[in-house]
Amino acid sequence: MTTYTICVFTSNTIGLLNRITIIFTRRRVNIESLTVSETERKGVSRFTIVIKHESRDEVEKLVRQIRKIVEVLAVFGYLNDEIVFNEIALFKISTPLGGQTLDVEIINKKYKAWVVYWGLDYVVIEKTGTEDEIFEFFAYVRPQHEILEFVRSGRVAVGKTEQGLVEYLPEAEWAYYL
Amino acid sequence: MEAVAIEKPKTIEPAITYINGSEALMRALVAEEVDTIFGYPGGAIMPVYDALYDFQDRINHILVRHEQGAGHAAQGYARMQGRAGVCLVTSGPGATNLVTAIADALIDSTPMVCIVGQVGKKLLGTDAFQEADVMGVTMPITKWNYQITSADEVPEIVAKAFYIAQSGRPGPVLLDMTKSAQLEMMTEPFVYEKCQNIISYRPRLTPKVDQLEVAAKLINEAKRPYIFAGHGVQIAKAEAELQAFAEKTGIPVATTLLGQSTISTDHPLYVGWLGMHGNYGPNVLTDQADVIIAIGMRFDDRVTGDASKYIRQAKVVHIEIDPAEIDKIIKAHAPLVGDAKECLKALLPLVHENDHTVWRNEFKKYDAIEYEKITEPELSSTEGKIRMAEVIDMLSRKTNGEAVLVTDVGQHQMMASRYYQFKRPNSLVTSGGMGTMGFALPAAFGAQVGASDRQVVAIIGDGCFQMTLQELGTIVQNKQPVKAIILNNNFLGMVRQWQQLFHDRRYSFVELQNPNFIMIAQGFGMDGHTCTERDNLSDSLDKMLAYKGPYLLEVIVEKEENVFPMVPSGASVSQIRLS
Repeated sequence: MTTYTICVFTSNTIGLLNRITIIFTRRRVNIESLTVSETERKGVSRFTIVIKHESRDEVEKLVRQIRKIVEVLAVFGYLNDEIVFNEIALFKISTPLGGQTLDVEIINKKYKAWVVYWGLDYVVIEKTGTEDEIFEFFAYVRPQHEILEFVRSGRVAVGKTEQGLVEYLPEAEWAYYL
Repeated sequence: MEAVAIEKPKTIEPAITYINGSEALMRALVAEEVDTIFGYPGGAIMPVYDALYDFQDRINHILVRHEQGAGHAAQGYARMQGRAGVCLVTSGPGATNLVTAIADALIDSTPMVCIVGQVGKKLLGTDAFQEADVMGVTMPITKWNYQITSADEVPEIVAKAFYIAQSGRPGPVLLDMTKSAQLEMMTEPFVYEKCQNIISYRPRLTPKVDQLEVAAKLINEAKRPYIFAGHGVQIAKAEAELQAFAEKTGIPVATTLLGQSTISTDHPLYVGWLGMHGNYGPNVLTDQADVIIAIGMRFDDRVTGDASKYIRQAKVVHIEIDPAEIDKIIKAHAPLVGDAKECLKALLPLVHENDHTVWRNEFKKYDAIEYEKITEPELSSTEGKIRMAEVIDMLSRKTNGEAVLVTDVGQHQMMASRYYQFKRPNSLVTSGGMGTMGFALPAAFGAQVGASDRQVVAIIGDGCFQMTLQELGTIVQNKQPVKAIILNNNFLGMVRQWQQLFHDRRYSFVELQNPNFIMIAQGFGMDGHTCTERDNLSDSLDKMLAYKGPYLLEVIVEKEENVFPMVPSGASVSQIRLS
């Protein structure tokens, strides 16, 4: 199984997420993670979809079928070594009175994670990194502290090409966010 | 009593008049030159029907008997006209009844614009009366769909709908229009501009030059090249280009099921059609070709059989407008993405004149075997009941191969394709990809509306007929001279054939107790008769063809007849059976 990251640029319209995911469902491909947000261009959304698949051919067919959707401006499929990617994880960790103290220095310096919220008897730690780095940190935390809640954002990625992907979109008078 | 003084009316400034969403829709349809709508009214589409009342002089609305009939009629109309058929139905069940036709139109690339009523905007998502999530339901089976929730959106969205439905690889588009959008007034004057392009949707029409050169080289060096002509040729109206290309290169042409009639059956380069029940030589010789030129076809599994064993020895030039079809089933060595007409035009000057007589003669050897083993016996029987082949063969002669044949799905469909000798382009309307039983009667009606100058004959099985027979009412009410032939074998014949061949004759629910079809037709006000004897067949067909209005001819045919040749499901084409 190889991990593929599929970046889809679309016009920002209702129901499009559905239209895109239907193609994965039809081909029985499970989505590992999916994030959607508007790009620096107004009205253009960017989907980052991570899947695992055995066959590159099949992934290419999937990409071509996504490209067929009327509102889709462009689709790019990547292997991990072709992109820079990260995700964010939040750890809600119990810090009861008398419990083990949090080693903030290790957390900061070794794991590049930050405490972003202090509650009365818990803290929230934010860790940015690859899936592996996040789980490395997870493995560090779990034996020492009770993890009350844990959530990952799903992958965001940019290509390693010189240009930004939006440069590949069809030419038009795009409006930008400043 | 005090007299009421009549006040002199003040002069009123002529205010700008705004129209409501329904009228905007009507004006938009007129602007798209829509002159025919197939539809069925209901609660959530009533404002549109009210607006339609004032547009009857410009738009001919045809009231069907079931929304599925509206869909198939629009398909038949679209296939004849080469532009979008339009359906108008209500929300909920009206829309869901249309679903089969929409799916059929998608897989057979038929342009269609379906306008569907929806509950008011405030009621969306509340399980209101006749509310169904039609956007959700139709998302996977439309080329595009859109929910119109305000009157101001109407002109732009209708323009987009027609553009998307009719351009590139055509397909069905659905507009889900809330009742509130139908009723509310536009806040700006109605202006209609046809859609010319959409930034995120740019169908490629002309192929890449480097791929053209690769393709031309393959074709010029080929020893045993072979053309597969599909529905795309007909959609692109590229029949003349196909013929010119084939004639210059001397390459034999086979068609797919839906590609039939793109080249005349008496053309010397035409060798037959491909697929599960296609001709013997054309199927078997796919294994001997060294270059396949596939034009506007998508290597359906009914064509390829086991795709992993299909044309492995050949290089493939794939001319196709939909990039997603390239390499989907069969790897293309020279993919030409573009309109079939444009691609063939561009390719023609690059290919050399050639004459592949020796290769073409291979097909004749197989033709002789097929004729001896199948065709001849089927056409020359003198005993027993009439055979389907005889009916189609005789019909073909009597109409000089110039009728529009609309076929349903099953044995009769395959027999019609085997024995009708198409002479004119765009003469077969059938449900290919979806295989929708019940397609033929409403589609034949739509085809007749779309091609009033042509003789339309529907070939229908007794099973299929009972799926949409209510449309007889539509045919009669609209006085369309559709001729319908029921080939009645009292069986769901194709399923029975499979059960006979692959399930040890365990006939599981395939025998029908049929009604008196002629009496049913007469009940609808349509004339007809039954033909049971071979001796009466010719007269029966003459009577039907000469009849002025619509006519139903029921032919009682051999009960347990099988369609051969046959590539068993999942087998490779070389395993084709002749008996």
